[in-house]
Amino acid sequence: MDFFESQDAARQKTGRLVFLFVLAVVSIIVSVYVVVSGALHYTTETENARLWHPGLFLAVATATVAVVAGGSLYKIAQLRGGGRVVAEALGGRLIPRDATDPQQRKILNVVEEMAIASGTPVPPVYLMASEKGINAFAAGYTPNDAVIGVTQGTIEQLSRSELQGVIAHEFSHILNGDMRLNIRLIGILNGILVIGIIGYFVLRSVAFSGSGRGRGRSKEGGGVAAILAIGVGLAVVGFMGTLFGNLIKAAVSRQREYLADASAVQFTRDPSSIAGALKRIGASDKGSGIASPNAAEASHMFFAKALTSGLTSMFATHPRLEDRLRRIEPGWDGTYPPPRVVAPEEPAPARGKRPSGIDVAEVVTGAAILAGATGEGAAAGEAGGAVSQIGQPTTAHVEYAAGLVRGLPAPVVAAAREPYGARAVIYAMLMNRETDVRGAQLQHLAEHADEGITKLVQSLLQPMEEVATEARLPLVDLTTAALRELTASQYSVFHDNVVALMKADERLSLFEWVLQRMILRHLEPQFKEVETARVKHHSLARLEHPCAVLLSALSHSGHHDLAGAQSAFEQGRSRLELPRLQLLDRRQCGLAELDEALTVLDTVTFKLKRDLLEAGVACVSADKRVTVVEGELLRGTADALGCPMPPLLPGQPI
Amino acid sequence: MTYMILIFLIVVGGIGLLGALFAVGIYNRLVTLKNRYTNAFAQIEVQLKRRYDLIPNLVETAKGYMAHERETLEAVIAARNQAMAGLKAAASAPGSAAAMNQLAGAEGMLTGALSRMSVVVEQYPDLKANQNMMQLSEELTSTENKVAFSRQAFNDAVTGYNTYKQTFPPVMLAGMFGHSQDASLLEFEDSAKMQEAPKISFS
Repeated sequence: MDFFESQDAARQKTGRLVFLFVLAVVSIIVSVYVVVSGALHYTTETENARLWHPGLFLAVATATVAVVAGGSLYKIAQLRGGGRVVAEALGGRLIPRDATDPQQRKILNVVEEMAIASGTPVPPVYLMASEKGINAFAAGYTPNDAVIGVTQGTIEQLSRSELQGVIAHEFSHILNGDMRLNIRLIGILNGILVIGIIGYFVLRSVAFSGSGRGRGRSKEGGGVAAILAIGVGLAVVGFMGTLFGNLIKAAVSRQREYLADASAVQFTRDPSSIAGALKRIGASDKGSGIASPNAAEASHMFFAKALTSGLTSMFATHPRLEDRLRRIEPGWDGTYPPPRVVAPEEPAPARGKRPSGIDVAEVVTGAAILAGATGEGAAAGEAGGAVSQIGQPTTAHVEYAAGLVRGLPAPVVAAAREPYGARAVIYAMLMNRETDVRGAQLQHLAEHADEGITKLVQSLLQPMEEVATEARLPLVDLTTAALRELTASQYSVFHDNVVALMKADERLSLFEWVLQRMILRHLEPQFKEVETARVKHHSLARLEHPCAVLLSALSHSGHHDLAGAQSAFEQGRSRLELPRLQLLDRRQCGLAELDEALTVLDTVTFKLKRDLLEAGVACVSADKRVTVVEGELLRGTADALGCPMPPLLPGQPI
Repeated sequence: MTYMILIFLIVVGGIGLLGALFAVGIYNRLVTLKNRYTNAFAQIEVQLKRRYDLIPNLVETAKGYMAHERETLEAVIAARNQAMAGLKAAASAPGSAAAMNQLAGAEGMLTGALSRMSVVVEQYPDLKANQNMMQLSEELTSTENKVAFSRQAFNDAVTGYNTYKQTFPPVMLAGMFGHSQDASLLEFEDSAKMQEAPKISFS
């Protein structure tokens, strides 16, 4: 299953969940009605002997729907606040991007590499400093507000490659849309739970008032008995509903864990990394336990079982360690290595050195597999090697990402890692080559930006020259983590400055457009209420114009002559079943038009997005070579469609 | 009869439950905002620590050139140690008025001592031209900018917390939930001067 299918599947599953939910609510209404009318029937023998009371049913239905919907929406709204709310509730503390502690540096580097390799913004990392167990979690609603949390035990006990396995597992949760699924499940369960809680309160209040006032007249006694019966009934319905709901949730969660384990092996091409981490958990006396009192609510988000309570395996959010290990390593002998004595075993890898822990042979085979697979694809005349990697970075990508970061000038990387300097990096990237425009830009910064930022931008200009063109977009990814730490007012100043710098030369370059798209997509949701695009179209038939604009823009970007553009366009069109599509004139598919087209195309299903991206890849690779311009345009397109695209590897046939 | 009572009970129970959910929401929001400014303080802490780490190096470099100015140098080191203690106290209770005041006061003294030192350094052209000294003072200036920047972030977060706490309806419940004290902004005495120009200019 690739990225597109799993995104669609996650959405479909949500649809199925909603259906189940409606079913559950209906059966709950019926049960509540049976409980209430039954209680009435037995206590008031004469007056209301009928079984069917439309008025009562209406009241029960309204009350139940209101309670369940209120409970669900409330919980979902609470969890939608983004990953950092969850991380902070669990006692996590943000690791500063420019941390110098070697262990913290190591985890930040691993996360950075994995993020760049998969083409997502670098998520903030939270450290649960008081937790000694080995565990980690990913939380958030979309990849844009995702955070990763790790325990102190994890960064102390795991080697670099084991950490890579754990982080790859968490990235799989982010890329597969598991977090959104989980949040909806929790919300629904909460709604059902509320019914049980009401029953419990009714029961308690009746029990207290009953004993306080003593026995009244027989009529009142009957009323009390009815309420008592209703309380018991509601509690039973609610708690039974929650019980079965939890069983289903746990079963879903266990399946997602196996999937994430498998993806982690796929991302790192190294089963020993994640298996090693699991074995460390088995060997450690602390296991994977989390002490925070809020852990129960978030137990399904963790890397391994967070609670050590003796629940049966049916309720477990994670499969047993042994089962997971046997799936990854069928030949595992069932023994755990001796626990590692906590010692700072390996210092953070020195710059310019290959990260320790990755077996060279593994990397070579990983690259060979990659080359083999894409080579075959090219031989069969099939485009889409780059597309099939969306959401599925490989070792080659991770290695490439690490290489990219190492190749960046040190002052730039240092600045990109903290919020103060990250803005300067973005400003510096937007500086125009022409001296007078650049002067105007610097003047604007001096007037509108923070104290000292102009100086920092100027000092970054020289090292920025050394940044390779293909490293520009990964560098933007690198800054997003730090930029998310801005406050709303700081962000609005930053945003205004970026827009002003772009407008300084009166024309929008491709890089500026992609940069703006990335910032809008990855940062804006952090600071403002942004509506997420809903799926509105299940076919491209009525979206011919936007499709034509996209393919024409991609075709023109790599070809100056009309004939070349035309043949590239033909290549792309053949991927979409839209024979009437016409190549547009260069002026009709500028960046402004493309922007509009992409906003529309963002509302199609993921399956169609995949077709669009394949068509796009076919366009840019029609002449068997991909220029940086084409690559950036493609990356910007993928980003606008919400598909994290791994960087194109040098020499990669696509 | 019981029928009416029942419907009444269901309605009252529903309203009560909604009220309870609302209160829980307020409580959680308060906790979230408080955590946010605590985390924002951690960012200041990182930068201030770096500043405190740089100062001994600066003094060490200066020592070789200005042996006769021991008093000035010792004042800088003393102020730096005091500020470090202030930071430690503040980190354990970010937002508390006393801790913020102590930190701001100590920082003010340190800034004063540093600016006195920079006046003295003016009299030693060799020292001013020292490569190491130039690098250190540049680093110090940039760190101070970062402090100002993260202080702004912290103050934004504190303002957000205070504003939420003082609005209606949270204002009725905040005290009950243990959020009776407003969090304090971190204002350095010479913040006006700090905005104006970097204090240390050896070059």
